[in-house]
Amino acid sequence: MAKMTLKIPKGAVSMQEGTIVEWLVADGDKVSVGQHIYDIETEKSTIEIESPFEGTIKILVPAGETLAVGHPVAEIYT
Amino acid sequence: MTQLASIGRSAAIGIYETMVRIAACDQGIQKGLAAGELQFQYYPAGGQEAIAATIGALLDEGDRSVTTYRVIHDIVAKGTPVSEIFAEMYGKATGCSKGKGGPMHLSDPKSGLMVTTGIVGAGAPIANGLGLAAQLKGTGKVTVCSFGDGAANIGAVHEALNMAALWKLPVVFVCQNNLYAEYTSFKESTSSSSIADRAQGYGMAGEECDGCDPVSVYEAAGRAIDRARTGHGPTLLECIAPRLQGHAFGSEQTHMDQAQLERDIENAPLVTVRKRLLEEGLASEEQLAVIEKTAAEEVAAAQAFAAKSVDLDSSELYTEIFADDSLLPEGPGSGGVRIEDPKPSNTTKMMFGEAVNNALDTALASDPSVFLLGEDIMDPAGGIVKATYGLSTKHGLDRVRGTPISEQAIVGAAIGASLEGMKPVAEIMVCDFAMVCMDQIANHAAKLRYMSGGRTSVPITIRMMSAGNVGSFGAQHSQSLESWFAHTPGLKVVAPSTAFDAKGLLLSCIQDPDPCISLEAMRCFFVPGDVGEGDYRVPIGKAAVRQSGTDVTLISYSWGMQEIQAAAQTLAGEGVSAEVIDLRTIVPLDLEAVLSSVRKTGRAIVVHPAVEFCGFGAELSSKIHENLFAELKAPVARLGARYTPIPFNQTLENLHFPNAAGVLEKARSMLA
Repeated sequence: MAKMTLKIPKGAVSMQEGTIVEWLVADGDKVSVGQHIYDIETEKSTIEIESPFEGTIKILVPAGETLAVGHPVAEIYT
Repeated sequence: MTQLASIGRSAAIGIYETMVRIAACDQGIQKGLAAGELQFQYYPAGGQEAIAATIGALLDEGDRSVTTYRVIHDIVAKGTPVSEIFAEMYGKATGCSKGKGGPMHLSDPKSGLMVTTGIVGAGAPIANGLGLAAQLKGTGKVTVCSFGDGAANIGAVHEALNMAALWKLPVVFVCQNNLYAEYTSFKESTSSSSIADRAQGYGMAGEECDGCDPVSVYEAAGRAIDRARTGHGPTLLECIAPRLQGHAFGSEQTHMDQAQLERDIENAPLVTVRKRLLEEGLASEEQLAVIEKTAAEEVAAAQAFAAKSVDLDSSELYTEIFADDSLLPEGPGSGGVRIEDPKPSNTTKMMFGEAVNNALDTALASDPSVFLLGEDIMDPAGGIVKATYGLSTKHGLDRVRGTPISEQAIVGAAIGASLEGMKPVAEIMVCDFAMVCMDQIANHAAKLRYMSGGRTSVPITIRMMSAGNVGSFGAQHSQSLESWFAHTPGLKVVAPSTAFDAKGLLLSCIQDPDPCISLEAMRCFFVPGDVGEGDYRVPIGKAAVRQSGTDVTLISYSWGMQEIQAAAQTLAGEGVSAEVIDLRTIVPLDLEAVLSSVRKTGRAIVVHPAVEFCGFGAELSSKIHENLFAELKAPVARLGARYTPIPFNQTLENLHFPNAAGVLEKARSMLA
């Protein structure tokens, strides 16, 4: 079992930080590759983030938080 | 739709395999971006896989490719190892461009992908140069230049298409029309319905094909590649393949027709080609599954390789700017040049302009990789001031090539040919025209060595006149733009003042491994001097002390030398001993020559033809202050041109430019 970390992606050239709008999965859920797992809001738009990995998700940061690009938001145990 | 079987079973399966590998890379990158593991602006190529995969299958190993920043499909199809592509995306030393180019500037001369440009349309002029080198050397290589529908509307592409058609270059221009230029639809940016139709206007073959269908691309691109390889010139091939997501990873898609997007995703080439392979019985489900699994494993291994690769050492910051790391104006290696000037035994009296002609003649005669290109340079004109007169008659029109008035195409062709080891000398007529091709000069010639991690280099010379202070040329034909060039890391800049140096420096530039700008002052053109016979090289980056003195150092270059030498003579009559330094080269800068003189005199005046404000004199003055502050008897003075466009009116032009009287005024107040 490997631990994969999800971080705030850089969704646009100017993006420095993003706000987690909503988690569409719950802590401990099984997620699959390509599954829409959370939305992130930037100064320009809302980006739908799909899971890059398959496994069990551990959510590190709740919705509503604004974080810098690169900040860990969840872990997926594959 | 014609059956895939028509192109042969193994070709069809091979194309699908490449498409799957492209898609696996694309998905792998987007996964890395979604996870926050990779952080850069990524331009996905989903929907365009069949174009690259099919063209890749048609090219020979030695063929060349130039593309644009929506690149993943093109570079995978050209054969660059996926591990090196991922390592470059991670900015690692194991990347195809050593981590110094990044995802927008991938290149890999091993696979033949010579340039990926981040500047829309800028690849087309460079592709011409690769084609020109193939044509001149007779290698039979074909260059494929890929760009988007957005690029079809930029000037560089227009210049390049005209030149390619004119010279029948072996280039296939592939417009990958994905129906969007960034956030603007094709219809919103282009009034005609076809890009391929424009070919007729250029006098070249043009064809449109379905970029989602390998058979359509195979047939059309096959014809285009054959045409190029058999000497029948270029083709403008438009491959239509709708984009399947926003402009970049994370981009909004509100500018896209959502219903159409859904249909396009449903009919994505990856889906339809797979279906056709099965329906036609060309491959089994198991066979395709193996291809898909292998591609996924290849990408996973590449990602692991990239993540684990060592990071670039910080010492890499200052490498691969020039071939010789010690020539920088700053950084650990900055040393300057300490080579003796040549002393040719036989000299002849000739004018500066004749010395330029003599240098070009010497280079053409002694080195088959040298060729000249520029507007009006061929006989009978022989250049607007006869700098190239007689050379096309002697060396032929292939090597002394007159060009259309297309500066981007001229410099781009020089760049491309130099990537194949040729030593092109491009003429831009007057320096002011460099501004219309600054992108080729500053974004490409100057940066390709660095952006490729030293795997490519651009040994070109660009000659241009600074025509100021001779009267009548006005604001747009008289400037001296050396500071613009000096401000761009990667360019060497020479500005000779004597006939001897004009020849010796030009010969050095032509044989230099880096891009050199040779600024030739029109005011110097008709000044005679002793010029050596044969091939002699004045070292680039070495100043000359024209007169020794003890009271004040006067520093200039190019026609500014005429003013400071006149001032020095007057000062001598007043009992002031001036040391006169001719920098000759702006980059690399011979700071040591300047400092050792000012250490002695304690006073310095920097004079140059260009505008004083933000000019090169500010840089040199600052360097003198930083190094010799305690030893200076007076602050360093600068004298450049006034902060005005160059006036046509003679009285005003005289006021604009620096002159000996101004130098004297500064010197006298400094010595008072």
